Amino acid sequence: MNQVSQLIKTLVVVLTAASSTACVTSTVQDARQGVTGISEGDSIVIMAKSYHLGNETEAKYISCIEDNLARGSKGLRVIPHAEFVDSLFPWFEPRTAPAETKNLAKLMQRPGVAKRIEEQGIRYIVWLDGDTERVAGGGSLSCAAGPGGGGCFGFAWWQNDADYNASIWDLEGLESAGTVSTDVSGTSFMPALVIPLPFIARTQSKACKSLADQLHTFIVQEETA
Amino acid sequence: MIRTALTGILIAGLVAGCGANVAFQAPTIPTPLVEKIPMSVGLRMASDFEHFIHQEKVFGREEWSIDLGRSNAALFEDLFAHMFTGVRVLSADDDPQLLPLDALIETSIDAFEFSTPDQSNTEAFAVWIRYRLKVYDSEGKLISEWPVSAYGKSQTTTLGKSQALQRAAVLAMRDAAALMVMKFEQETQISSLLEQPATQSVPAVDPQSDPPDETDVQTTALEETTDESS
Repeated sequence: MNQVSQLIKTLVVVLTAASSTACVTSTVQDARQGVTGISEGDSIVIMAKSYHLGNETEAKYISCIEDNLARGSKGLRVIPHAEFVDSLFPWFEPRTAPAETKNLAKLMQRPGVAKRIEEQGIRYIVWLDGDTERVAGGGSLSCAAGPGGGGCFGFAWWQNDADYNASIWDLEGLESAGTVSTDVSGTSFMPALVIPLPFIARTQSKACKSLADQLHTFIVQEETA
Repeated sequence: MIRTALTGILIAGLVAGCGANVAFQAPTIPTPLVEKIPMSVGLRMASDFEHFIHQEKVFGREEWSIDLGRSNAALFEDLFAHMFTGVRVLSADDDPQLLPLDALIETSIDAFEFSTPDQSNTEAFAVWIRYRLKVYDSEGKLISEWPVSAYGKSQTTTLGKSQALQRAAVLAMRDAAALMVMKFEQETQISSLLEQPATQSVPAVDPQSDPPDETDVQTTALEETTDESS
């Protein structure tokens, strides 16, 4: 029994180590067009660009960015995007949402729009586009089971690319404040000798963390190094 | 006997495994930020709006049964209540001649289509709905016919394909609602009916009468709405 327990502990340690050693490379860039900053009481909202335009940003990625920006003592006040869209129906639906900052002035003149935005204290709208895709893969892994037991044998690998871009709109000046983008590539692999050992690259999580951190810096600070 | 029952259960299980049944709750349409059109309208919906079921066998794959329930009826009831100062939902037994209405709006579904992730080779379900709106004046004359094409798309999640398909359909209905809020007046010119001499009632309408000229039929396009919002 002790041997089984020891084996399980060893496997947990190996898997934990393995998950952290999968290969991930990332790049984060920003391009500033205006002075930023945020006051107490100001809030931001994270939106996905319209699927009408072919964008495929995952809902869980948006939630991840929202959570990361709101987390911690220095977290920003984030309005959940669904709440924001409902409060301004129908002007931020995928069909009707403004595509460029030059449309904002006209939007603000519509009945009730400026008032709702002011009530929620929204200073910035961040528009996300991009997605995570599997771009390559290979290897062979097969598993079999019989009356005497089962097991797997082989080796498989795959590469995911997470490429996201965030456009930050400043509702105070009704202009673009700039863009932040991240490009993360991760290769996962899984050797199997009876038991498969997954070495998973957390590509999307890394892209979420890096973009959220850079967005926070971009919005809070006026200039980054 | 037991063997027969077991075989039946097994076959039923296999058949169920090759199909999908999706049932909907009526979507909630938020109150739109628009000024109401000061008109009293009658709303007459196609009979299948109260219980719309779409059945389709995806070629070589699953058979889908999508039960929208009364989602379409709820959508139009909620939406028009937000858009007009007065809305009267007419049943099949109601005679519009006896009601003080400025206009009558008839709604129906031309088409409901969907695609699965297997078909589109993506991670998403997509739903297309094309509604048809007919607007009649107080004399029962068809003044406008507007096909409203709406589109919704939702990624598959760990919650399952049924939820993703439901989400896509709800997004399509919201898309239709957004389009109608934005373009109803422009496409149907319904407010012009207020300029006509006041009448006390809307006569019964024969849907086959007075078909519009081809040039009167309004269409929608995302490009137009994008430009409009530009």
